[in-house]
Amino acid sequence: MSEGRELKISRRSFFKATGLAAAASLSGGTVLGGLAPQACAAVAAPEWESHFSACDMCFNKCGLVARVQQGRVVKLDPNPKFSKSRGMLCARGNAGVAQLYDPDRLKYPLLRAGKRGEGKWKRIPWDEALAMTAEKMQEIRTKYTPCGYLFSAGADMQSAFVSRFAEVFGSFNVTSHESLCLISNNRAYLDTFGEVPFADVINSKYVLMVGANRFEALVTPDSMDLMTAMREKGCKLVVLDPRYTKTAALADEWHPIRPGTDMAFMLAVINVIISEKLYDAEWMAEKTFGLDQLAGHVSQYTPAWAAAECGIPADDIVRIAREMAAAAPQSMIYPGRRTSDYEDSTQIRRSFAIANALLANWDRPGGLLAARAVGLKGVPYDPPWYDDNPPDRVDAGLVPMMFEHEGSFVLTRDAVLKGEPYPLKGWFVYKTNPMATAPNRAKTIAMAEQMDFTVVVDIAMTDTAHMADLVLPAPSYLERLDPASGLQGSSACACVVVRDPVVNALYESRPVFDILKDVAGRLDLGEYFDFTIEEYRTRQFAELPDAMEALRRDGVYYNPSKVYGLYEGKAHKTLSQKIELFNQRYADMGLDPMPVYTAPAKVPNNQFRLVVGRNAYFTHGSTQNNALLHELMPENTLWLHPDAAQTLGIADGELVEVASSVGRGELKASLTKGIRTDTVYMLTGFGAISPGLTRIHNVGASISALLDDKVDAISGNAALHTTFVTVTRKVAS
Amino acid sequence: MRKAQYAMVIDSAKCIDCKACVVSCKVANGTPEGFSRNWIKASEPDFAAGAKPRTHFQPGACMHCEAPICVDACPTGATYKNADGIVMIDETLCIGCGNCIPACPYGARFRNPQKRTADKCNYCPERRAAGLLPACVDTCPTKARVFGDIMNPESDAARLLEQHKDHVVQVINQKSNTAPHMYYLASTAPVDWTHEAVMPASMATMTGVVDPVVKTLVGLSGLGVLVMLGRQLLSGHDSSHDSSHDSGPDVHTGSDVQAGQAHKQQTDKE
Repeated sequence: MSEGRELKISRRSFFKATGLAAAASLSGGTVLGGLAPQACAAVAAPEWESHFSACDMCFNKCGLVARVQQGRVVKLDPNPKFSKSRGMLCARGNAGVAQLYDPDRLKYPLLRAGKRGEGKWKRIPWDEALAMTAEKMQEIRTKYTPCGYLFSAGADMQSAFVSRFAEVFGSFNVTSHESLCLISNNRAYLDTFGEVPFADVINSKYVLMVGANRFEALVTPDSMDLMTAMREKGCKLVVLDPRYTKTAALADEWHPIRPGTDMAFMLAVINVIISEKLYDAEWMAEKTFGLDQLAGHVSQYTPAWAAAECGIPADDIVRIAREMAAAAPQSMIYPGRRTSDYEDSTQIRRSFAIANALLANWDRPGGLLAARAVGLKGVPYDPPWYDDNPPDRVDAGLVPMMFEHEGSFVLTRDAVLKGEPYPLKGWFVYKTNPMATAPNRAKTIAMAEQMDFTVVVDIAMTDTAHMADLVLPAPSYLERLDPASGLQGSSACACVVVRDPVVNALYESRPVFDILKDVAGRLDLGEYFDFTIEEYRTRQFAELPDAMEALRRDGVYYNPSKVYGLYEGKAHKTLSQKIELFNQRYADMGLDPMPVYTAPAKVPNNQFRLVVGRNAYFTHGSTQNNALLHELMPENTLWLHPDAAQTLGIADGELVEVASSVGRGELKASLTKGIRTDTVYMLTGFGAISPGLTRIHNVGASISALLDDKVDAISGNAALHTTFVTVTRKVAS
Repeated sequence: MRKAQYAMVIDSAKCIDCKACVVSCKVANGTPEGFSRNWIKASEPDFAAGAKPRTHFQPGACMHCEAPICVDACPTGATYKNADGIVMIDETLCIGCGNCIPACPYGARFRNPQKRTADKCNYCPERRAAGLLPACVDTCPTKARVFGDIMNPESDAARLLEQHKDHVVQVINQKSNTAPHMYYLASTAPVDWTHEAVMPASMATMTGVVDPVVKTLVGLSGLGVLVMLGRQLLSGHDSSHDSSHDSGPDVHTGSDVQAGQAHKQQTDKE
């Protein structure tokens, strides 16, 4: 970085230098009457109507204001009154317009007209599509029991209707995106504190981020609040990540930790805090269970031992532990979101949760917050009982602590491929794209191959839709009426958002609710869908009389519920009713009650560990084909350290072949010292198979084609960091 | 007479390089693919610095300079500085000759292939007319960009400048100091990316001696228009507007900035 010269100059010479004194003579306004630019001409304000909505370019649901001119959305702006997102809209949010008006959008129902995955389609009318869906569902239900049909829905304000449909249809087999993302983290915090916390970043003085990348993988309000805390309140940010992310770039410290050794680091931090008695003994005695057992357990995990594991000097580990303890309770190990990384992912996060407990930051400013009251009511229903059903989900019993309603996509897929314990022959997919997001794409293709009837409801011909029998066009979030959704924005707010259509739905697109309602009617399940979204909302708002008015006025309803001290005199939802450092339930089940470290597998010679990560433009596999975002990043590249590249004879920008035990891909190499010599990285969502994604079809490489499909032993969350790859220079053909 | 000086005061240390400003601007202004009115530049991290390689991200766009060379370079008067201190392009007068593009030390201008005119940031006048902030400022996640009239001491931008007056910096090319109205709080990086302004020789001579009225008369004479039009038709589409011939290190100016001669005038409400 070249340093510009700092010039200290007097005020007078500054004005001279900047020509402010001579301002008038320099402005080249002309005086040629009609031809002259009208220097003071008032520009007319655009004649647009403004409508509130909630963004859907990722899961954050940031408040937005859509500017609509002559029936067309011309601009999406942040809703300044929306405190969860701190009145901002990110690049993706701004690019929502390009999703709405993308020529690649699905326009009408399409029936497969060639071999599966061949990309040949026939346009059919809606009525035929819906009749066919009901008929095939009934066929499969009769032949294989209702559980023979699998339902997969992504994160969406209408996804609850997919679960509802599955349940009244009679299938236990429902998977969400969560088992490819954060269920191991949720599991760990549930099994420590009894609930999944929110991080009160804005009031924190010290944030340790382990693998989380909050300045790129944006989470509102945490991403904004982290910067506010750092710039305005002097909060310190320490990042552990094998990759130099933008979060690392802006942090006070970045330690390129050896992948898979996060638990070693954390156990040593716990060791220091306990052995040096840096914790609030009174608080610990009152609030936690198992401190003595924990002290005995971590005595073996010294900083010197951890240093050898993680490649971070022992002095730094000790210093960071002391600094965090000194800043406690306004310090935290940031919980993070995507924790689908290793086979002991839940236990890794247990070590984070336990370290947080030692900082006494639970339920306090600058620490980890419990869920606040939002006040929306559920809309219950009483599903029928089906005698012919098998006893449980297809992936039941494979891991001890699975989430019933999320399942494990990876384990479900294995069960489908084996046909054990029973066959799954139908698949309903809404707004999720496991072909791009689940590891080991070859298996997802095989899974799709063996389905009798797959329906995909989405806005574009995703790779998953490409493998379907019937593809139904959904409207984008700007064309939909959605139920209310309750959100918590850390300590900023507990709020409710809704979506009303900003413009009329384009083409023949229909919301998934309408589709399910119609199919339910054809299957004699109409009674479970005998309402409109408006009526559903009214029931949700039963206890929030002011919400509708606030939503009309501000685009958001805030519940002024209590933020801190929710657990004063309240029991935790754990066996001991306290924060469990030692988890009794795990002990009863024969699991490690406290995290036991297992070193990650050594990276074989001439291979690399492939790690997953995010940038600020892409949500999973869903926005890479967006025209505006694609312009920011037209293809993905393989991050490779120059030293490793030199050994392999690879120059920057050269095409390389990356191969793992399950697949291969070709993409360009980006040489950077911002990654360890034993690790490589590429972005998700490229290398699409579907020609319907015109900008990214066969562009770059697909990470899902390369990743192997191990799972976390406790939750069944995918383990996406266990893959080793070889990298070879491609000779230009 | 100048009644305001709109400017951007940027805390570039807050920038996370998320490109929200870039996409917001593109949508608001319909900028064609491959072009952008604004940018975020990044400094080179120093991986030899142990746990602190650090990257500094720096948002930028047209700096609405006090002494804009682009205005001098424009033969028709299409580019001018208005009474609010904003450097504007009158599209009806622009003949797309491209003279102003290399005349900007910041590479802030490009030739819009759809409109066939020069294009750059104009602080979103339509949005401001609707009572909104410029698209990039409005959308910024960390509110790194602050916009306002620095001649109005009540504005956020003026207050921020006043608050940080001892360590505010500008990115300036030493050979082409245009006195930019984009102020960065404390240090910023990178600073070595500007280039010396390039003026067509004839224009340089003319603007050096002739007053703007005559300049415009010449520029709009039949001959001038024909020559420029011919050049436009031959020039085809610019594929890039990223000139990168550096000319030495740039100047960080640490100074106590005050805007203009502090005319306290009423300005547009933000």
